Formats: sequence, structure tokens, C-alpha cells
Amino acid sequence: MMENELTYWVALTHTPQIWTKRKNEIIVYCFNLGKTIADFFESESFLGMELKQGEYELLTQAKNELANYAFLVEELLNQGYNIIPIISGEYSPTLKANLKYNAPIVLYTKGNKQILQEKAMAIVGSRNANDTALQFTDNVAKKASLEYKVVVSGFAKGVDKQALDSALNYKGQSIIVLPQGIATFASGMKKYYKQIIEGDVLVLSVFHPKSPWAVDLAMARNSIIYGLASEIYVAQSNDKGGTWAGVCDGLKKGRKIFVRQPSNKEKCANSTLISMGATPVDIEGSTLQTTVAYDTDETLCSFVAEKAAPYGEPEQLSLSF
Amino acid sequence: MNRFDYEKRLKSIFGIDHFYNEQWEAVQRILNGERILMIQRTGFGKSLCYQFPATQFEGITVIFSPLIALMRDQVKALNGKGISARYINSEQSVEENSAAIQDALDGKVKILYIAPERQENSEWIEATRKMNLSMVVIDEAHTISVWGHDFRPAFRRIINLVKLLPQSLPVLATTATATKRVQQDIEHQIGGRLTTIRGQLVRDNFNLYVIKVHSEDEKLVWLAQNLNRIEGTGLIYTGTRVNTEVYAKWLVYNGINAINYNAGHDADTRKDVENGLMQNRYKCVVSTNALGMGIDKPDIRFIIHTQIPASPIHYYQEIGRAGRDGKPTTIILFYNEQKDENGIEEDYELPKAFIDGARPSKEKYLKAIEALKQEPLGEKGLMKATNLKQTQIRVIKADLIDQGIAKEVVNGKSKVLEYQFGARELDTQSFEDLRIAKLKDLDAMVGYVNTTKPRMQYLCEFLDDDNNVNYSNCDNTNLNKLTVTVTGFWRDKLSDFRESYFPVLDVESRNSNIVNGVAASYYGVSNVGNALHRSKYENGGDFPDFLLRLTLKAFHKTFDNARFDWVLYVPPTHSGDLVKNFAAKFASAIKVPISHKLVKVRQTSEQKVYQNGWLKQDNVKDAFSYLSPEEVNGKRILLLDDIFDSGATMKEIGKLLTTMGAETIVPIAIAKTVGGDI
Repeated sequence: MMENELTYWVALTHTPQIWTKRKNEIIVYCFNLGKTIADFFESESFLGMELKQGEYELLTQAKNELANYAFLVEELLNQGYNIIPIISGEYSPTLKANLKYNAPIVLYTKGNKQILQEKAMAIVGSRNANDTALQFTDNVAKKASLEYKVVVSGFAKGVDKQALDSALNYKGQSIIVLPQGIATFASGMKKYYKQIIEGDVLVLSVFHPKSPWAVDLAMARNSIIYGLASEIYVAQSNDKGGTWAGVCDGLKKGRKIFVRQPSNKEKCANSTLISMGATPVDIEGSTLQTTVAYDTDETLCSFVAEKAAPYGEPEQLSLSF
Repeated sequence: MNRFDYEKRLKSIFGIDHFYNEQWEAVQRILNGERILMIQRTGFGKSLCYQFPATQFEGITVIFSPLIALMRDQVKALNGKGISARYINSEQSVEENSAAIQDALDGKVKILYIAPERQENSEWIEATRKMNLSMVVIDEAHTISVWGHDFRPAFRRIINLVKLLPQSLPVLATTATATKRVQQDIEHQIGGRLTTIRGQLVRDNFNLYVIKVHSEDEKLVWLAQNLNRIEGTGLIYTGTRVNTEVYAKWLVYNGINAINYNAGHDADTRKDVENGLMQNRYKCVVSTNALGMGIDKPDIRFIIHTQIPASPIHYYQEIGRAGRDGKPTTIILFYNEQKDENGIEEDYELPKAFIDGARPSKEKYLKAIEALKQEPLGEKGLMKATNLKQTQIRVIKADLIDQGIAKEVVNGKSKVLEYQFGARELDTQSFEDLRIAKLKDLDAMVGYVNTTKPRMQYLCEFLDDDNNVNYSNCDNTNLNKLTVTVTGFWRDKLSDFRESYFPVLDVESRNSNIVNGVAASYYGVSNVGNALHRSKYENGGDFPDFLLRLTLKAFHKTFDNARFDWVLYVPPTHSGDLVKNFAAKFASAIKVPISHKLVKVRQTSEQKVYQNGWLKQDNVKDAFSYLSPEEVNGKRILLLDDIFDSGATMKEIGKLLTTMGAETIVPIAIAKTVGGDI
């Protein structure tokens, strides 16, 4: 992939109203023809691909805006951001394998891109987690770091922040997955400057670089966190919100998810998740014998799917805000 | 549409009947969406090759140009023809630039000129996301090559941009001067489907002369004797800013209507001088090479260089601004071939020193890198962290960005330099390669001085223009050699001039009652610097009397009618009474009482330790006090020091005395340094 193709990649990524899945189909179409995404946009008729009427107009519009995207790409590269298209060898293979056709078209990053090639675990949980959950997070981050695994987290308060700081504290590496555009993260870049330039932190975003933080981006980001990791640890979940939706979605897709076994007194939904099929782990993150019977009841599953639906289906969200 | 159809449009829009064949070739290819590098001499009509297609495209054409004066002229001319054009540059106010951007966004503009440095501006960046862009033009494209002259780091971003532009967008890069090497470098950098159109570079209306001299005085004398004999208005290029002042004053002293111009002047002054030049208000403008590039004046009748430029390509570019009307034009180059004690010719030394000193030492780069590894820093922060000069920091900054070691990131309203993860080691070999290449170019320039070939042929060959032309318009072919004789009369006149011309100490500011003062001389220009150095650093005793005499002369000439209450002097950093004794003699000569109550309240370091203005300011901040503050109220004070550098000390004391109620503070120094940093 040549750097001068980045304009086309970014244009495709941010073409509105076309789902990521469809965009990936375009990429596969080009690949099968032995053509590049630049060829796709520069050819008279989008390489003869069968497009719906609406798609044709949207892509033509994107084509007319290529020069504008060129200015954006230049600005980002000039400021040291990396733009990694899905066909690049630098793209996270784990993310691609997990999300398949729903994998984001480009990753915007800053820092050590090599981290994307390492084995990674996600630690997720509530913004207002209790002390036990934070202790658990610290323990798991320590374990990850000792095993040279990368800790993926979402840069929210509570568990996310703990996961990041613990990983760095134990000299591990970390990926921060942003709920916003990468160019709007100046304060965080400043705070983690040393870790970024020393190669211990990679900042990553899949949204338009200039998008400010937004609730729907924060939700859409969860699937990226889960997707980047090959192991998922849940410190503390409520029975709604991002963590809950993300875990439900993961379980539905058949991913193995480790959930901290809560004490009887704790008010949280960890037990529910375990009862839905998540693997219980102790405070050290070690797998426990399952004490609660698996409940694979059909009704519960459909309940889960229903409850998760507004946020749990990232493919329903176009990642081009 | 064929050529005939387009020429009909050309006639109706520009009032021009036909394209030249070479113009049409370029226009046709641009209309076809191609990318072109066009190398054509000044006066060929390159602008039309993008201005005409711009009128044919639906959207806007953006022209990146480093030449502010050119923008102004062309925008005026285009609007006059009913073609909507604007420009964005540092000369306009923020509001004016915003208005131009808004017009472009609203589709009201066909042609937009923009200085490459503006690529950094956030408002512009924001606008580029929405603008309907049809073509990009890079004017003076040789400035994108480090192998060219006049390389500009800001153009690096333009190149990166062009690489990212969609393949079907037409791009035109133009220059009047490019060797094959620069041409290849531009082709390589822009890449893609760029093709080159190269025209003939010969300028046959030039009369080229070289005057070899054996002292600076000879140059001054020749100009005073002969300048008014050359027809029309022209330019004199000097090697340094100080010399623009010295030469202009000398010419005026001789009744020649000259004025100086350099990049140190503010925008209003520069505009005024440019307008004056356009209206032939002066016989000549004495300038550094900051003036003239892109000035659309067809009848500049002479260009005289008092110093050799860095290479024949610089020279060709700089003289290229003259005689665009095709009428006979006088081109003169002075060269002082007097050898110094090391056998190096005088006029070779300055440009060589410039090349050798173009880059700070490796240690300084490493110091900056180390600082950036600790935290992201802006220019000022980096200067404070490293104690390096602003000029050096700027060079280092550009190189670190170029090598990908650091990137400049917008952080809110300010810009900071960030070290990059995985950055490679600093590559100093490329600096050395460049230094050697530049020295070779400089030697080729000296080659021009000494050649026996037709001079235009020498220049064209250097520029790899191998067209076979009959050259006969120089002092090596059909014209007489020019020479200079300095008589006693002229020697006396020069020495009178030198004792009547004193540098200004520019210190005025809003919140202080300190006013601009005067120095007896520039530090390096006369024997004053040597005398100071002997007294200060070689135990040479008190400052010699001629310094007192000269300082008094400077004082009387500037402040003869003013009345003063006190003479104060800057207390020394180390023990030593040189300035005190000097001030005492000065005070007694002008019969103004001296006061010894200005003292230091804390130890400072010698200002010269600090390499930049920020640290100098910190060094002297709150360092002084006056022992009887109540006496200061309403006083008119002369403040003496030996050497005036950044002015930070004088300004600090001025501020202190202002708070105590001093009515006015006038700084007087024996010597003013040249090139003091901010």
C-alpha cells in the first residue's frame, strides 16, 4: 500500500450512510480484481462494481471530496498520527479476525504500532467500580504485563483508567481505545507523552479524527476494545450500559469472557453474566470451578439480545461520524 | 474545444490574442488533468499557464507562493480583469485573511494565493475540508528542493499534500531556475505522473559586468561615483542587513536617492518601500535578497550585488528580476579579491562562513532531542531548555521534522514539537553532503567572477540549459571592463561619513519611558569592536579616548538640544570600573552630573553566556535597584553601557526607573552588536 493511497482510504472510511460491512465488500471486490482503492475511485464507474443507486451517489460525492480529504490526511500525518488501512500489514490481525467484515476500514493511531501485533487482553468494567473491582483490575494488568501481553482499555474512569495505569506501572504495554477522534485527545497525549514516545502506549481511534467525545462513539468503541483482545476480563458490570452490552454481545458471538466472581454482598451484575455463560475468575484472574449452573435457556438468550440491541450491534452503526 | 476556441476565451477574459506554443502545450495538458513542472525564464508568461485554466475550471485554484509582493500585484491585476482572486498571507490582518477564506468557501473566488506558511493556520485547515478545489499550483517550485537555493521547510508540507491529492487533480509547479539536479529532485518529490517542460533561460537584454576590487571602500566609492550615471531605477543587493543600512546611508550622504529594505522591517515599511520602487520614487533600493522576488516591475534597469550570492543559480534568480521589459539592463557584481592572512579572498569568507555555520553542532541537536524526550516543547520552551539561539533552534526544528525525529503538533492554540516513538538516530551525514554541495556551488559562483567565457553562457550552462545561443553582452565579450579608483578626496569623504553615522538603539516600548538611543558604532564594522575587546578581555586598561570622542559625537548628533539631569551607567557583572570610568568622563564632558546609585541587587551572569533573548531577559529580571528611589522622580536620564546586544539590560533598567517616576531614559552605548537574537 502506498502512502498516497491514504486519501482514498480515508474518503471511503468517512463516506456516510454506507455500513462498514459494505465498505469491506468494496475492498474485497477491489482486491479480487487486483486493483487498489485508488483505482476504484479514479475509474469512471467504480471498477464496474454493482452498486445501489444511493451508494453510487454517496461514493461519487466522496470522490468529489477527495482533495479535501487530502488536506485532512496531510494534516494528520504532519502531526505524527498514523493511518492504518485494513489491508496494511500493520493492522491488528486480532481485530480483523474477531470483527471480520465489521472491522473498521482504517485505524488512526499514535505511538508504537507494533503493539497491534502483540497478544492482547481487554480489561473492562464500570466507571464507578468498587475497590475490589479495581484491585482485580490491577491484578490482571500485572499478570498481563508479566506475560508480555498488551492491556487494552477504553480510557474511561474507573476500571479503564486503572487498567491503563496498572499496566504501565508494571512496565507493560497498553492500547488506549478512544471514544472520540484522535486529533481531539491533546490532554491525554500530553499526559502519556513519555509512555507514548517510549513505545509503551498506543493511542487508537476508529472515528473521524476531529469528532469530539460522544455517547454513541463510546458505545461503538466497545466492540473495538473487545475485538483487539484475545482475552476479555470483566471487573465489574452493571445490568445495563457499555460493559453489559459489550459482554452480552461477546457471549452471543461465542467469545470466551472472564468475569470476576463477586462476593454475595456486592451490588453488580457480574453473577448474571456468569450465569449467562461467562467464565468466573477469582480476584487474581484465575479461572474458578463453575459453581453456578449454565443457563442456556432460550428465553434468557433472547432477553440478552433484546437488551443489548441498541448498543450491542456495532455493525448497525456506521463508524463514520 | 480546440486551441482556437480557447484563444477566443483568452481574448475575451485576458485581452490576449494567442498563447505562445510553449504556453499552449502547458495549458492543454493542465486542462487535461496532468501534473507539470514548468521551468521557464522570468518574463516568459508562466502565470498565464495557470491563470487561464483556473478560469475554465468549475472550482477554485489554489496557488502556493512564497512571494507576498507577487500575490498582491497579481490579485490586483486579476480582479481588474473581472477574475475573482484573493490572497492569504502574513501581511493581511486576521480579519482580512478570514474574509478571503470565507469568500473561497462561498464559491466566490476563482484564484486563491496562499503563502506556504499559512498551511499551518487552523482556520485555513478547517476551510480546506470544504473547499471545491480544482487545481493546485506551486510557484517558485525550486524552493521545495534542498539542493535548490532558498529552500523553505514550509514547502515540505505542500509536497506531502500534493502527493496525497487525487491523481486526477491537475498540479502545476513552476520555476525560473532549476538545474537538472533540482529538476530531478522536484520530479522525485512530487512523484506520480509529473512531466517537465523546460524552456530557454538566456536573457539577452542583460549587460553583465564584474568589478574586482581590493577593499570594501572601493565598492562604496564606485557606487557614489557612478550610480547616478546608470539610467533608471534599480536594486543593490548586499550580503547582510547591516550593510543595507550602511550602503543606503552612504549613498544618501552622496546625494543619491537611496533607501534600505530588509526582512527586519515591519510590513508597513516594506510595503511603502515596494510602492516607492514601483513608482520610481528612488534611484535605488538597497536590500538583502528579501526584496524583488516576484515584484512585478518590468523596468528595473540595474541590479548590483556588493557580495557574491551563494551560487550561480541564486545569481541568475536575483538578476532575473531586472529588465523584464526586454530593454537593455545593467547587471554588476562586485568581488573583493583581497586576500586575508590565511590567503582567503575577503568576499569568499562571508558566504563560506555562512555555509559552514548553516547547521549547529551535533551536540546542540542532541541537546534539543534530549529536551524533547522529556516533554513536548514550543519554540520558546526549547530555547529555554537548551540555551540555544532562536536561529539555531529553527534550523534544528526543521531538520528534526525533516528526519521524522520530531513532529510539530497543534496543541490548542500553540504548536509544540513532539519526539516520535521509534525515531531514527540523527543523520548528520546528510548535513555534511549538503555542506559540500553548497561549497561547490559557491566555488562555481567565484568561477563566474573569474571566467573568460561569455557570462550569460556561464550561467546558462550552470543551469543545464544547453541551448546553442550566440552570447555577446558582457565585459568578457563586447563591453568595456569597469574599474574603480579611490582618490584622497574619496578617502576623506568616507571617513567623514563613518564619523557621522551612528546606529540606533531600538528599545522603545509601551510601558516604559525609555526611548531609542544611539551607539557610536556597530561592533564588527569598524575598529571600535577591537578596542573594546582589548580593554575588556585583554587587560588593555580604560577604554581609549577615541571611543569617548566618537560616543560624544554620536550623542551630540542625536540629542544635541535635549537636556539631561543625570548620567547613570550599567553596573558591571564582575568587578571592574571600565564603564564607570567611561561614564564619568562622558558626564564631565557634557557637564551633566553622574550618579553611582544604580546597583545590582543580585548576581547576574554575563549576558553573552545566554544565547537567546528569553534567557537574557530572565537573567536580568529584577536584578537592579536604585539606592534613593525618591530622587528619580521627574528625572531625565542618560544610561550608559559599553556594548548593546539584545537590549534586555537597558530595557530592564528603563522599566525600573520608569516605576520610580523617571521622565525619560536614553540609552547610549559604545557599540551595538550585529545580529543580536530577538
